[in-house]
Amino acid sequence: MIDQMEPVPKDTEYDLYFGPAHPGSGNFGVKLKIDGEIVTSARADPGYLHRGFEKLMEYRTPLQNAVLSDRLCVLEPLNWNLIHAEAVDNLMGIDVPERAKYIRVIMAELSRIQSHIIWYGVFSKGTGFDTGFKMAFGYRDYILDLFEMITGGRVYPAGYICPGGVRRDFPNGARDKILKVLDKMDEMIKLEELENPALDARAKGVGILKVEDAIRLGATGPVLRGSGMKTDVRKDEPYEIYDKLDFEVPVRKESDVYARYMIGIEEMKQSIKIVKQALEELPEGEVIASNLERPKVKVEIPEGEVYVRNEVARGEAAVYMVSDGGSKPYRCKIRGPDFLHMIPVLEYLLKGAQIADVPAIYWSLNICPADMDR
Amino acid sequence: MATKETELLDEMKSKFKVDGKIQRERRIWVSTDEKKLMEMSNWLKDRGFVHLSAISVTDWLEEGNYELTYHLWSYNDKILVTLKIKIGRKNPAIDSVTPIWKESAQIHERELHELFGVKFKGNPDLSPLFLEDWERSPPFRKDFDWREYVREEFYDRENEREKVYYD
Repeated sequence: MIDQMEPVPKDTEYDLYFGPAHPGSGNFGVKLKIDGEIVTSARADPGYLHRGFEKLMEYRTPLQNAVLSDRLCVLEPLNWNLIHAEAVDNLMGIDVPERAKYIRVIMAELSRIQSHIIWYGVFSKGTGFDTGFKMAFGYRDYILDLFEMITGGRVYPAGYICPGGVRRDFPNGARDKILKVLDKMDEMIKLEELENPALDARAKGVGILKVEDAIRLGATGPVLRGSGMKTDVRKDEPYEIYDKLDFEVPVRKESDVYARYMIGIEEMKQSIKIVKQALEELPEGEVIASNLERPKVKVEIPEGEVYVRNEVARGEAAVYMVSDGGSKPYRCKIRGPDFLHMIPVLEYLLKGAQIADVPAIYWSLNICPADMDR
Repeated sequence: MATKETELLDEMKSKFKVDGKIQRERRIWVSTDEKKLMEMSNWLKDRGFVHLSAISVTDWLEEGNYELTYHLWSYNDKILVTLKIKIGRKNPAIDSVTPIWKESAQIHERELHELFGVKFKGNPDLSPLFLEDWERSPPFRKDFDWREYVREEFYDRENEREKVYYD
C-alpha cells in the first residue's frame, strides 16, 4: 500500500494562500509557493469583485452610469465619477462650466487625500503598526463628513460628478469647512512623518522595482514615481483645470517599499496645496451645463469614440468609450491601474521575497481589488 | 503648422500605408490590419511608445467584426496612439503583442481572451482570470444575454417573488 501513495514533498515547501480571507488582503488572493522563508512563486487570484461594469454600462444611460461609476473603486469613487463624466463630456462635446471644473478638481483631490490616508492606514496595519490604522481611519472621517455635506453620501457620492458638471453647488459654509479639514490633514501628515524605526526596518530596501521593470510590467502612478520616473497624467496631459494649478510631482529614486510609502505622503501635501489654490480661485457661476440640468433628460450620445486618461490615487485610469449614436454607450472599456499593479507587478515583486515582507510589498502598491476586477 | 502629432501620423502613413486621423491634441487614431500589427507595434515601441495603456475589444455584432484597439502612450512625446484592427467575429484570432510589451500586454490579452474569446497567438498564458468554472460563450460578447443567463441560473419561475422576472 505504502508505495502507492504520493511521494512526500520536501518538508520545507508548502503553499500559502494570502487572501481572500486574510484581514488585510481585500477581496483578492495571492497563491504563494514557499520554500522555507522564501516565496518561490506567486500567482494572483482575482475575480472576487468582478461585477462586469463594462457590460453593465452598455445597458444604461450616461446619467445612470455616473452613479454606477462610484462603485469602480471603493476607496476613491469621486475620481472614477470624474473620469466617466469626462468621457461622456468629450463624446457629447459638452462645455463644462468653469465653476464645475474647479469643484470637480477640489472633490477629486479631497478624494485622493482620503484614499492616501487609507493607504497609510492599511500599510501600517500590514506592517504591524495598528495605531496607524486607527489614526488613519479616524482622520479620514473628517473628509467623509465633508463628502456627506457636499454630495450627500459619505463614501459613495451617487454620481455627484456627472456628465455636464456636478450635481449641485457647494452648500453654504463648505469653503470654511474644507479649509478646517485641510488643517486636520496637515496634522495627520505630521503624524505620518514621525520617525518610526520599525517602519524603516520593514520598508527600506524591500520590494525593489527598477524603473525599466516598472514600465515593462505596466506600472503607473505612485508606483512608477517611486521607481524614479517623473510622470503624472495631471502634468503630462492636463485635464479640467490642472494646467492652471501649481503643484509638484514627487519622485523618489530608491524604488523600494519605503519610496512608494513616502510618495503617498508627498502627494497628500501636493493635493492639499491644489485644493487650497482651487478654493482661492473658485469662480462664481453655474455648476452644470444648461442642456443637462434635469438628470432625467434623455440624452443621445453622438457617434464617436474617446480615450480619456486621468490620474487617480492609484495611477493611470482610463476610459475608452464608443458610441453608435444611441442613448447608451456601445462599449465602455475601463482601465484600472490596479489591474496591472495587482497582477504582473505584484507577482513579480513577491517572487523571491521573504514571507514576512509579503504584506509590506502588497500594501506598498496601494491596491484596491475593485478597480482591478471591475 | 507641423506639430508632433502630424509629423508622427505622416511618418506612419508613408511607412505603413495606413489610414489615420488626429482627433485632438495628443490623440492619434490609426486603422490598420492584422498583418501590419507586429511590424507597426515594433516600430512604435522603438519610437518611445513603451507604455501599453490598454487593449480593448469592441464587438460590432451587425458587421460581424471584432475591433481591437491598442492604446499606446509615449512618455517622451506625450502622445497616445490607438491602433485599430478589425478581425472576424467567428473564431477570432490575432498575433499576440506579448513579445513587444511583455507582461503588461500579456495580462490585457488574458482578460480579453476570457471576456471576448479572442485567441492571441503566442501568448503563453490565457487561462481564465475572473470567472470561475465558466462554460458558456464569453460573457462580454454582444449576443450574450445576461438577463437570460440570470433567469436560467439564479431565478425560479415557480417562486412567487421571483416570477416577475419572467414577464
